[in-house]
Order: sequence, then C-alpha cells, then structure tokens
Amino acid sequence: MGVIMPLKQGKNPGNHFIKDDSTDIALFVRTTGEDITGWDRHRIVSALLRETLIDRDTAERISLDIEKTVKNGAIKTITGPLIREMVNSKLLELGLEDARRMHTRLGVPLYDVEQLLIQHNKENANVPHGPEATNLTLAEGIKKEYALLQVFSDDVADAHLKGDLHLHDLGFVDRPYCSGQSLEYIKKFGLNLPHALSMAKPAQHADVLLAHMVKFAAALQSHFAGAIGWDAVNLFYAPYLEDMSDRQVKQLAQMMIYEFSQQAVARGGQAIFSDINIYWEVPKHFVGVPAIGPGGEYTGKTYGDYEKQAQRFAWALFEVYREGDAAGRPFFFPKPLVHITEKLFQTEGHEEFLDLICAVAAEKGNTYFVFDRGDTAKISECCRLSFKLEQSDLDDAREPWKMRYSALQNITVNLPRIAYRAEGDDTRLFALLTEQLELTVKGHEQKRNFIQKLLDMGENGPLSMLAMKLDGQTYLRMHRVSHLVGMTGLNEMVKAHTGEELHDSDAALRFGLKVIAHMNLVCNRLSESSGLKLVLEQTPAESTAYRFAKLDLAHYPDQAKMMLQGNLDSGEVYYSNSTLYNVGAPMGPISRVEKEGLFHPLIEAGSITHIWLGEHQPDARALADFVVKTFRFTMNDQIAFSPEFTSCLACGRTSRGLAESCPYCDSSHVDGITRITGYFTKVSSWNKGKLGELKDRYRNRFNQ
Amino acid sequence: MIRGVIETSFVDWPGRSCAVVFTGGCNLRCPFCHNHPLVLDHQSLPAIGINEIMSRIAPLEKWLGGICVTGGEPTLHKELPELLAALRPTGLAIKLDSNGTNPRVLARLIEAKLVDMIDMDVKAPLDTEKYRLAAGNEVDIAAIRASIAIIGQSGVAHRFRMTVTPSLHQVADIIAWKKDMPPGSPLKLQKFRRGQTLDPAFAAAEVFSDKEFVSLERLIG
Repeated sequence: MGVIMPLKQGKNPGNHFIKDDSTDIALFVRTTGEDITGWDRHRIVSALLRETLIDRDTAERISLDIEKTVKNGAIKTITGPLIREMVNSKLLELGLEDARRMHTRLGVPLYDVEQLLIQHNKENANVPHGPEATNLTLAEGIKKEYALLQVFSDDVADAHLKGDLHLHDLGFVDRPYCSGQSLEYIKKFGLNLPHALSMAKPAQHADVLLAHMVKFAAALQSHFAGAIGWDAVNLFYAPYLEDMSDRQVKQLAQMMIYEFSQQAVARGGQAIFSDINIYWEVPKHFVGVPAIGPGGEYTGKTYGDYEKQAQRFAWALFEVYREGDAAGRPFFFPKPLVHITEKLFQTEGHEEFLDLICAVAAEKGNTYFVFDRGDTAKISECCRLSFKLEQSDLDDAREPWKMRYSALQNITVNLPRIAYRAEGDDTRLFALLTEQLELTVKGHEQKRNFIQKLLDMGENGPLSMLAMKLDGQTYLRMHRVSHLVGMTGLNEMVKAHTGEELHDSDAALRFGLKVIAHMNLVCNRLSESSGLKLVLEQTPAESTAYRFAKLDLAHYPDQAKMMLQGNLDSGEVYYSNSTLYNVGAPMGPISRVEKEGLFHPLIEAGSITHIWLGEHQPDARALADFVVKTFRFTMNDQIAFSPEFTSCLACGRTSRGLAESCPYCDSSHVDGITRITGYFTKVSSWNKGKLGELKDRYRNRFNQ
Repeated sequence: MIRGVIETSFVDWPGRSCAVVFTGGCNLRCPFCHNHPLVLDHQSLPAIGINEIMSRIAPLEKWLGGICVTGGEPTLHKELPELLAALRPTGLAIKLDSNGTNPRVLARLIEAKLVDMIDMDVKAPLDTEKYRLAAGNEVDIAAIRASIAIIGQSGVAHRFRMTVTPSLHQVADIIAWKKDMPPGSPLKLQKFRRGQTLDPAFAAAEVFSDKEFVSLERLIG
C-alpha cells in the first residue's frame, strides 16, 4: 500500500522530469519504451504511416494539429499514451474510424491496475491472489482486448460483449483451449522442448518420469488455456514399477499427487488444472500394444502384461487421495477420473477397487466416475470435457504417443436470452438458436485461423512447442482438433419459454431435450459445411453462469428478474449450468442421474451429473452400488459426489460440512471447501454467482 | 403418520442405498436431535399418504437396497404394522429405526416378520440419570432393557447405536454402555455434529475430534 498511497494523494512522481526553465522550450515525452525524449511530431507521422492506411499528407496535418494543442496547452508532462489518444480523437474528428481502430491502444487505467494489485480477482477460483496472479490478469486483460479487436470480427465480438455468446479464455487467445495426451510422448522422446535450456533423454526411473511429466504439464499449461489431461496414467507407468516395492509405489503416488496439487507456483500462481485417467483393467485398445519402459525402449511385452503393476499404482493413488493432505483436506488436483467399463466388471479385484474409490468419494469426494458403455472409449479432462476415441484414434493407440487431443476453443450460447427474445414463439426460438450457432462457427473459424497462423511460424514462432515435430507431425494436430459449443441456462430457457423448469414436468424435460437435440443437429450440419469438427460440450460456466445472468439483468431486466436463480438483493445471481437441473430442485440422486443423463448422449464432448452430499458422510458400499447401477440403468456419462468441508485456519483441522466456525476450536477463521463446478476449491475464492448457487444446492437431506 | 420421505439415502443403511420414510412425533427430547421438526412440530408438516410413498418408491425399486422407516419414533404409531405390511410387496428389505421405548411393538413387528433390520438408538448407559440427560425426558429403563433383549435375541439383523457428545458421554460411559449390550450384537457410535439441534444450546456444543472419536470406537470394537 505504501507505494501506492502517494499516487492517490496526487503527488505526480513524474514532476521531477519537468523542466521549469521557461527558456528551455523542449517538451519531454515519457514514452512507453521507458525513456524520456524530446518532443518530435514526426513520431506521430511515422506511427500513423506504420500502423494505419492513411496518406502522408493527412498524417502530417494531424501531427501539426497535435503539436499546436500540446504547445498551447498547459500540459507539463506528456506521455506516449496521451499523445496516441489525442491522435485518435483527431482521427475520429476527421471521420477516419478505420484508422483510429488500427491506431488504438490497449491498456489499463491507473485506477484499475491499483485495484487489481490489491483486490482479489474471482473470475477463476483456481487463481490465487498474488503478484503472479495480477500479472496473469493484466496480461489477460490486454490480450482479451486484442482478441476482440483483431482476432474476431465485430459481429462475433459484439455478441460476446452483449452476452449473447461467451468466448471462453479470450485472454488466452493465442493458445488452444485444452490438451489431453499420453505419457508415451515423454517416455519415448524424453523432455525435449524447443528452445529449452537443456534436453533430457527418456527417463530410466519412475521418479524421473514423474519429474518429466510435471515439467511437461507445466510447459503445456503455458501453451493451453485450460485443462491438461493424461490418459491411462497408471497403465503407462506400469513398466517402470516392476522392481519397486509397494511402499515405493505408494511413495511415487504420493509424489505425483502432491506435485500436481502444489503447483500453484506456476503460471499466474495457478495450479495446473490436471486430470489423470485411471483404469483398473487394461483398456482393450492397449492390450496388444508394445510397452515402452525405462530409457524409452520397448520392454518386449505388451501393455496387456502389465495389468497387475497398473493396478498396484491405481490402488496406491487412491490410498493417497483417501488420506488427503497434511490437514486431512481433499487434494484439489490432479483430478482422478476412473473409467467404468464392461471390462472392469470382468477384471479380478474390481469389487475391492470400486469399494476403495467409493470410500474416497465418500470421505474426500475426489473420484470422478466416467462411464464408457459398450465399445466407447474416452479420454476425459477439464471440468467435464471428454474426447471420444474414434476409429482413427484406436489406430493411433498402436503408437500411443500420437494420442493427443485438443479443443481449440469453447464458445457458449446464452440460452435464456434466446427465450427472452423469442417471446414464446417456438419457431422464432429455434431460428434464433440456429443463428447463434452459426455465429459460433464463425468465431471458431476466426480463432482457428489465428492459431494456424501462429503455428505456421514453426519453431521460431510463439507456439514453437506446439509446432515441434518429434514424431513427424506437429504436437498440436490441427487436423484432429475439435471446437466446442457450450450452453448455459437450459433450465431457465425452458422456464422462460414454457413456464416450467426442467424438474417441473415431463413436458418441460421434453422441450429441453428438443433444444439440445436441435443444437446437436445444427452442429453436425455446420461441421459438414465448415469442415470444422464442432461438438457440444456442457460448459462448466464457473463465471459464465454469473456473467450471463448479470448481463441479462441489464439488457432484459423484466424477463431476467423472473427467471434468474439466486438472490437478486445480494446480487448472487446465476443461471443453471449447461443442461443441469436447478441445483435446488428437491430431486433424489436417482432421478438426477437418470434425467440429467437423458441429455448426455446428445452432448458429445462430455457431461457430468453432480451429487451434492453436504455434511453427511455416505456409506462407501452404498455409493458403489449406486455407481454400478448408474452404469447399468442410465445413459449418464459421468458422475461425481461432492462433499463439503470446513478447513480451520486457526487450528488447522478439517471437519465435514460447511460451518461458520470450527467445531473443534470455535475459531471463525475458517474456509469452506467443496466443488465449484468440476473441481474443488476454497469457497472464499468463489464469485458471487457461485456463492448464490452454493446456498441453493439440494443436499438430499430431510431437514434442508 | 408419515411426514417426510427421501427417495435415496446413502447414509442410513450400511452397504445399501435406501429410501427413507420419516414418521412424525417422538416421546424423547434428545438435545442433540437434528430431525427436531419431526419431534416438536410434526403436525405442521404435510402428511404423506402411503399411496404417495408407494408411487414414489416403486419406480426406484431396481436401484434401491431397502426402505428405512425412521422418525421421530415410528413405534408410537398404531398404524406402523400396516405401513410396514404395505411396503412389503415392493420386495425391498425394510429397516426400522427405533429408540426402544416400546418393546411390545418391537416384539410384534419381529414376530410378524415385518422388519429385516433394526437400528436401535441406545442413548446412554442404562442408568436413569444419564439416560434422562441424553434423551431429554424421563425414560423407563426397564423398557429399554427389554427392547435390547428382544432385538438381541430376535435373529433379525440389527445394530445398537449411540450418538456421542463430549458433554454427555465420557469414556467410562461408553465402556458401561458396551457392557449393557448383548454380547455379539453389532455396535455403532455416531459422532454428534453441530447444526440445527433440538436444544438450541446444543447447536454449538463441543464435538469429539476425528482422532478422539476413533479412540472411542476402539473401546467398543
């Protein structure tokens, strides 16, 4: 604070740069290049000629005008940004709007920077408060402006700004959205990144492989906006585990989980949003695949031979999750995604494993249960995103290092607003929806072209890591990427259009399904016509559900007031996430997994049903039974059980349930812990919309 | 008599997900009770008919491992045998939660094979004063003793449970409580949690830490 206060008191730290000697008519300019130069109007001319399409005469005229204003005015210290804005104003006067736009400056007002440095930014609960986080926010702010001006066309950018659509991670416009990959890449090629200070050969030992994995994940985090997922982690580690004792395997599991959960020292102070996919069985598509072991050499066996080692590692990982961190809290990352398949039920020991992962779900909540029915195989990551493996992927599985997946971008459609605009007219509603989806495709094309341009610059470009070709093709395989189309507030759209929420009647549910089926159909059609692979995704909408709600309150106040969830008075307003039912609807877990599951087959890139548990610790066997039945009886894609905890900052103990004070030491210095959307965080870091949702969540109790 | 229903609970029956049916009214006033609207104010809760229960539970049959009838205190209701008999055709196992103050009712239900499992809450060691403090009312200890014996010898799956709080239960009480139970019967301690308690003074009562609780569990293990 001490550094900033003098500014507020109006002491201009630049004053000492000003020469008061009236005989010296030189005017000094503080440039953005961190130096002070004398006034020279030709700088204006050259900037205009470099950056815009106007002719030299006009540029000269403008610079003379500005010089006159500056010299006649009472300005003592003039800065580069100020001159630029004066020139912009002149361009506007002359009707040169295009030139003004090209000449515009991206930046942040002084006041905002000061606020940012001091206040906590809660747009993403995974960003703590600190200098790294502020850097991230500032950089994101400028890149966001750049994206909206330069990467996207005006209609797409306006749709985002108005809240018709949400273009996710605009501050990361120069990166793809998320990445799912296989350990095989670093097992085979070592840690060999372009422009790195050193290059490492393939690991000889499990702990070195872990070091490579963590660093590679951090490198990926620097090149992707979101989640970094790892396929079949326990299986791909297996060839390194043969000579290790159970104790050593447990130690390795502990190291892996602590490494990923304590990475909040990396980019923007943000933990790597990491997922590990775990199988008890050896997935069919890996059984006959030659295994890579120490030194990147083939071991002479296939992965089918490593079932027991893989199971040992899976078991150890879940033992660590069950213990929680040093204070007994659940680990936030990496998120363990266990695949429930037909083959799992034919694999020895599956009952005990199910009991263990359900005990973790009951006690700590970590486990995600991903249902791969029939012949589908998936790699899952992010809050609910999953990539279904197609035939070409299953062919790649013979050489698993090739298996890397990315979604370039996610664009979410504000569904309730479409209902407000349709005013009850079915035809208009579906027409508007189609229109928004067409705009979404346009947005995807624009981002794709931008990323392609950066990628084409190859190893000297900004995305050199994604352009590296260790296996003959670029790391980011543009021909395989997908483009996500998300949705927020289906429940409120249905309510606005039919008068009923999804849980109110079968008719409301049917209408909801019709909307999502329409979106799916239009996406398929647009995929064909555009050549982009567009897939529906359940947007996690950590902040989008709040942003859309606030923007609709501003633009459609009469309708939005009636439809929003949460508390209007406190401003804790939100829309229901994606196709989820009202979180407060008094529905038991069975109806929730059944009914929400009806939407899942329509949403190709993945879905989830959350079961909020509150403070009561469920019986692990009861959960296991429920998980198996969800697999057998429903179309649900993925479920997770979310308990709530109170973490005491005074005595360090963790208790179950969200309490105002620590039940052990009575301190009110406590923080809640539970899932915000698809991951655990501290409640103190939540945005207002999600806080509103937390209060409303139905926790399956009698006396709620 | 029915004042509440939960379609699926993961906390009421070990190893099973079950539906839970709540009856209104209780003859005890345990200060730590979390379901007190069912105790003090059950008349104001909407009554739910057996037909509604059946129509809500029937579609879930393949999912559920049983139905738990709890309260309040279910044995206070004359219609309890009727309710249990009506639930029988679902084919789902039935568990009854009771405080054991009505041994004759328990005996009749067991005799008629209307229950497949019984959880009896024994609030304290069988001592008049200690029981009065934990149950919030004068309790006929002889009736509790009789219920324990009936359940213990019934051949029906059962547990004896006790919710423990530092202010009501010392180590010696837990040891004494264990001695009051029939040998071989499964016992279960439940940790008191803060929340909306019947006696508002209990809302912020002391609780056992996880570590303490584990050591208490060892006493009965």
